[in-house]
Amino acid sequence: MKCKDAVRLIDAAGDGEARRLDAHSLKRHLATCRDCAARSAAAAALSARLRAELPRHPAPDALRARSRDLFATMQAAPRAAPRWPWFAGGVAAGCAATLVAWFVGTAAIDMRDNADVAVEAVTSHVRATLGNHLIQVASSDQHTVKPWLSARLDYSPPVPDMRADGFTLVGGRVDYLDGRPVATLVYRIRDHMIDVYVRPQLPRHAPPALTTLRGFNVAHASGADMDWLAVSDLSADALAAFADALAHDAAQR
Amino acid sequence: MPHLDAGYNLARWLTRDVHDAEDVVQDACVRAIRYAATLRRDDARAWFLAIVRNAFYDWLARNRPAEVVHDDDAIDAAVDDAAVDPARAAERIADLRDLADAVAALPLQFREVLILRELEELSYKEIARVAAIPVGTVMSRLARARALLRRSPLLSVVTRPMTGSGR
Repeated sequence: MKCKDAVRLIDAAGDGEARRLDAHSLKRHLATCRDCAARSAAAAALSARLRAELPRHPAPDALRARSRDLFATMQAAPRAAPRWPWFAGGVAAGCAATLVAWFVGTAAIDMRDNADVAVEAVTSHVRATLGNHLIQVASSDQHTVKPWLSARLDYSPPVPDMRADGFTLVGGRVDYLDGRPVATLVYRIRDHMIDVYVRPQLPRHAPPALTTLRGFNVAHASGADMDWLAVSDLSADALAAFADALAHDAAQR
Repeated sequence: MPHLDAGYNLARWLTRDVHDAEDVVQDACVRAIRYAATLRRDDARAWFLAIVRNAFYDWLARNRPAEVVHDDDAIDAAVDDAAVDPARAAERIADLRDLADAVAALPLQFREVLILRELEELSYKEIARVAAIPVGTVMSRLARARALLRRSPLLSVVTRPMTGSGR
């Protein structure tokens, strides 16, 4: 073996990745070549030092606890697959049943997707609250929040002024929902923070107007070609009314 | 979550920040639950590390878009810059107190393969899957990472006997 080939093999052999035959020829070469033996020793020493000296960071307890909560939240959410026991006997109605199943199945998938989005919205609301990054742009001025969001997204969300109803705009952020960045408006009423996820309306998208997950309410409304998803610990009625008012107000403009 | 420590360790080395690492791992947990169906029984750790890595790159794009480098040529350029000018490289690492700082100062793409190999002890194949690059690229990036570290004065203890004993 030539030094050129040995050099190429030293790392792989040190990582336990060299083929047996290669490792064997390398060993023989190292026995006769001082330079390569030194290179190999240096590689081993570096690896040993890295393993000895680099800190391994264990997950902080708070994160561990939060991830446990997260799992509990997500698993509590409805995720059941649709079951159609009456299918079994309906062989004769095969064709009809297939058609029905297709329609119902699509609806069921939509339903589940919508439930997933609600779960995600609650999760990201909780995460933002806990992580204290509820707000990336802090302003009660809709004319500050709107351009900030527009600059970071491929759409421009309406930012309604809801002060007349007692809801103060406190800011906004860009969050992730359904795998896409989405405008998030943050309003406050008394001690309640409300996250409002605003995104362009999706085709075939009709989530339930109101869902409750782990004590958080998720209200949905449509208006101004946007989809409005409000998440808060505010009472269900008040939140639903707020979501409707938002969408309605935005549509007025 | 059995591999939370491994995931957090990776996130910590990638973000180089306690709080950012927590954000990334929390996001990764959410994804892990959603994509639980894609888990193959044999490689839960590598699977979760891949999710953490993806969550990290999304986080990076959102929070520090300037640091996202997509092609290896750009990394090579950034690194070779120091390579052709040893004085600059020395300057860059002269202030570092220990080896951990030297690793933290490595370009991201080199740092991640090094951490996956040395601390998480993944095989080349697993690293390739986690980092979504070919095995050959894993090997070349590892080699570059190690070469950069060897240039650090912190490692002179290791490298000096080699040149010294040759004569």
